[in-house]
Amino acid sequence: MSRPILVLSALVSAALVSAPAISDAKTAAAPDSVLNAPNQAQFLQNIVKVTVTAQAYDFSRPWSKRAPNARRAIGTVIDGGRVLVTAECVANATYIELESADGEQKQAARVEYVDYESDLALLRPESAPFLANKAGLKLTTPNVGDQLSVLQLEANGNPLFSTGKMTTAEVVRYPIDDSSFLAGRLSVSLQMRDAAFALPVLKEGKLAGVMLRYDAQSSIMDFIPTAVVDHFLRDASKSPYEGFPRMGCSFSTTRDPQLRKYLKLNGTNGGVLVTQVLKDGPADKAGLRKEDVLLEIAGEPIDSDGNYKDATYGRISLGHLVCTKHFEGDKVRVRLSRNGTSVEAEVPVSRRSPGSYLSEPYVIDKAPNFFILGGLVFQELSRQYLKEFGSDWQRKAPLELLNIDRTQSETDSETRKRVIILTRVLPSDVTVGYEDLRNLVLKSINGEVINDLSDVPKALQKAANGVHRIEFAGDPSLIFIDVKSAEAVGPSLQKSYGLPALNRMN
Amino acid sequence: MEIRCLTPLFLAVTLLSTQSSDAAERSPIRKSLARISNTSQEPNYRQPWLPGTTMSSSGTGWVVSKDRILTNAHVVSNARFLTLEKENDPKKYIAEVEHVAHDCDLAILKVQDASFFQGTEPLDLGNIPEIESEVSVYGYPIGGDRLSVTRGVVSRIDFRPYAHSGIDSHLTIQIDAAINPGNSGGPVLQKGRVVGVAFQGFSGDVAQNVGYMIPTPVIRRFLSDISDGTYDRYMDLSITTYNTLNPAMRQGLGLERDDRGVFVSNVASAGVCFGHLKAGDVILAVDGLPVASDGTLELEGERVQMAEVAERKFKGDSVRMSILRDQKKMDVTVPLPNAWPFQMQANQFDVQPNYLLFGGLLFQPLSRNLLSTVQFQNPRLVYFFEAFVPKEIYKEHPEIVVLTNFLADPINTYLGEFKEGIVEEINGSTIRTLQQASEALSKPSDFYVIKFVGNGRPLVLERTAVEAARERIRDRYGVQQEQYIDASAR
Repeated sequence: MSRPILVLSALVSAALVSAPAISDAKTAAAPDSVLNAPNQAQFLQNIVKVTVTAQAYDFSRPWSKRAPNARRAIGTVIDGGRVLVTAECVANATYIELESADGEQKQAARVEYVDYESDLALLRPESAPFLANKAGLKLTTPNVGDQLSVLQLEANGNPLFSTGKMTTAEVVRYPIDDSSFLAGRLSVSLQMRDAAFALPVLKEGKLAGVMLRYDAQSSIMDFIPTAVVDHFLRDASKSPYEGFPRMGCSFSTTRDPQLRKYLKLNGTNGGVLVTQVLKDGPADKAGLRKEDVLLEIAGEPIDSDGNYKDATYGRISLGHLVCTKHFEGDKVRVRLSRNGTSVEAEVPVSRRSPGSYLSEPYVIDKAPNFFILGGLVFQELSRQYLKEFGSDWQRKAPLELLNIDRTQSETDSETRKRVIILTRVLPSDVTVGYEDLRNLVLKSINGEVINDLSDVPKALQKAANGVHRIEFAGDPSLIFIDVKSAEAVGPSLQKSYGLPALNRMN
Repeated sequence: MEIRCLTPLFLAVTLLSTQSSDAAERSPIRKSLARISNTSQEPNYRQPWLPGTTMSSSGTGWVVSKDRILTNAHVVSNARFLTLEKENDPKKYIAEVEHVAHDCDLAILKVQDASFFQGTEPLDLGNIPEIESEVSVYGYPIGGDRLSVTRGVVSRIDFRPYAHSGIDSHLTIQIDAAINPGNSGGPVLQKGRVVGVAFQGFSGDVAQNVGYMIPTPVIRRFLSDISDGTYDRYMDLSITTYNTLNPAMRQGLGLERDDRGVFVSNVASAGVCFGHLKAGDVILAVDGLPVASDGTLELEGERVQMAEVAERKFKGDSVRMSILRDQKKMDVTVPLPNAWPFQMQANQFDVQPNYLLFGGLLFQPLSRNLLSTVQFQNPRLVYFFEAFVPKEIYKEHPEIVVLTNFLADPINTYLGEFKEGIVEEINGSTIRTLQQASEALSKPSDFYVIKFVGNGRPLVLERTAVEAARERIRDRYGVQQEQYIDASAR
């Protein structure tokens, strides 16, 4: 999902050069209907400017961080003195500051809950008085066809409303790959001010959603609707935070009449074909199998495109029904057709944590682990690492690693928790001849199979004859490293390459 | 990279300023040169049942024996009609390809009318010229119709990729004489002897005064290879090796401190060394020549990569190796019964595209030719192509059978998601080749269930629907033939 990220960064740079505070009569003259003058001041009490300083880890030099950068968002005060923003704007945050809309008060804040999959975060001011006496905005449901207003703030604190029509509600990809949730789509022309994240989307003075992304060329905004926000807030009221649950299986459509005949679906309508069941996932536990046809979820019939009929939004993807209308641990009743006979099951839906993937789909707010042996740098394979290869990482990153990441769901690995790779070599006396090695998948060290980075130091204890035997899946298939010199070279490596440490194992 | 006619690069000023070489050298050479005109036909990979577009191009050839012409393979590739012209002879002579070696870009032509060779003298082959020595390039490049000669010096001698096949590298000599489209196949002379064949260069905006010629060891090897009437291609050890420079590497492998030996990293199971060498062996010597720790050896006074030894071998020869296995020295003899069996990673010529059309679905084996015509989006296809040898994809998929396209018809309305899928199974049988796919689809069955690599749903075609659609698709899209499978062109 590089596109939305690109759009956002374009907005950031546009905001930097745009002259502030000259508001366009047309957009400013169309405020949200209830916001007449006295109401407006009260309303703005619930809006704060959010400035985030973020510093991401550099996954290609896992011991260091990148240069800090600043992001600006508009936060919405929610019941309970907390501020709602998107997760994207607080990713890898090092310092967060809240400022009242009129600019008179400032306060540092911390992230209380963050869910990168649904792209939502709740911030809490470091000290209580800041948001005291603020009621918080109420939530309302946006409907297709509604006129909605997007709120921005001028430099002087005046609100700038841009109004547009909600055209669609659809389950789409969110910024984190592999995460899809319901999004509202708004056709609205925005003149960006300095905040490019989390703009509130309002309906009659209530919060209808939070901006997810905006494409200036087509004037189309996707926003996170309150259905998703509400789920997040409910989860945030419990501890620990549980997040959006999944069924743990993949589906395919069954519109093709030839497929329907083959699946013996002749007498029925709709249904989706289960193409894959995640091992030990919720669907697996409930006994779902590949080639089952899912006809009903929680009493809702599923059509052959994988949609159900939502009371608010009409035909939308079953993903919304499963993830957003249910909570962790809910037992979701499903009806299946298996070889032409009807079967019922209860799926204990559950969130899949990114840590349970072989190659983590995202690593945010977390320092990458690494282990340096005499100049050989070992790291965990993650999509975050692959993304270091630039905006077209899907073509530039090493094919073998891309293939592991892409096909990880096809192979059940019983023991392998992580793929450990030799990412690069910091040349030293110990690594003579090995300078060109990079991005090799580690198989074993001293005969011990490596399933996890923590296996590396353990395996290094088993050296024989004064050398470490290191095997790779690729070329070269084997190298040796001298035990004593690898140990001895550590301090000088740290000194010459400026490494704060030789490993990080969290 | 490759020199082909009709791609104007730089203008003819340098080309036309041909120097007058010494007359003694020039006259017999002029008579033994030919301009070759090739009317070729490109294979049609998008609609393989249709013939491809025809093109014309030209190059240079020279008399190599009493009745044969030598030129580049790329000058005569995909030829439908070849003619030769000599200087001061108005006639056009019809020629045909007798032998072609795409892996080293050389070809031998026969001429229908033997009178072509009246007054010609075969040119003698010389040796590798000295660096900095002068050479003259003869040929018919763009910029004029008559013979052109340019002169330059030998810049360097190196192992370089040959652009024609795209995957082979051999000894190459770089010269700074102007070499332009049309020069291809022409002789490069020094002291009256041929020291190379001009074959590739850079376009002017990449590098200037860089031209490459095929040196005589490569030409001689080609001539010996075809002396039995067939070209058997280069032999290849099909192993990957790694240096043993690191002291710990040497210690771990049990090597002495003598800077000898190269580590065998992987042995391709379809290659000649399989069963003779094992991953983990160390090669100490090849044919009695000691191998250094960086994988080079000294051959005829030059330090070259170990692979060079196999380069000089022919089908049926063998290679002797001294190796260290599990810290014990031993000798192995690796016979070379055949060249590397898979061709899909190379540019291929004079082949008709294989395909299979079923229910409007077009299946084709993945190849470099196909990839250069069709832009695929599926990253798995790229991976299968690139990992074909290193990850031994060929063990499961000697041919990677791809659903490349649809001839739109009601039968395949809902099948768009399968485009670019790699066929794994049809009606329960594993599919390894296009031939097997064809056989599986010709067995009558109520449903044809095609599974693709990955986790998608199966593609299902109903027999009655396929049968009903058959004539309709043939008529609508003008398909004369529903399949062409020639397994020899793998």
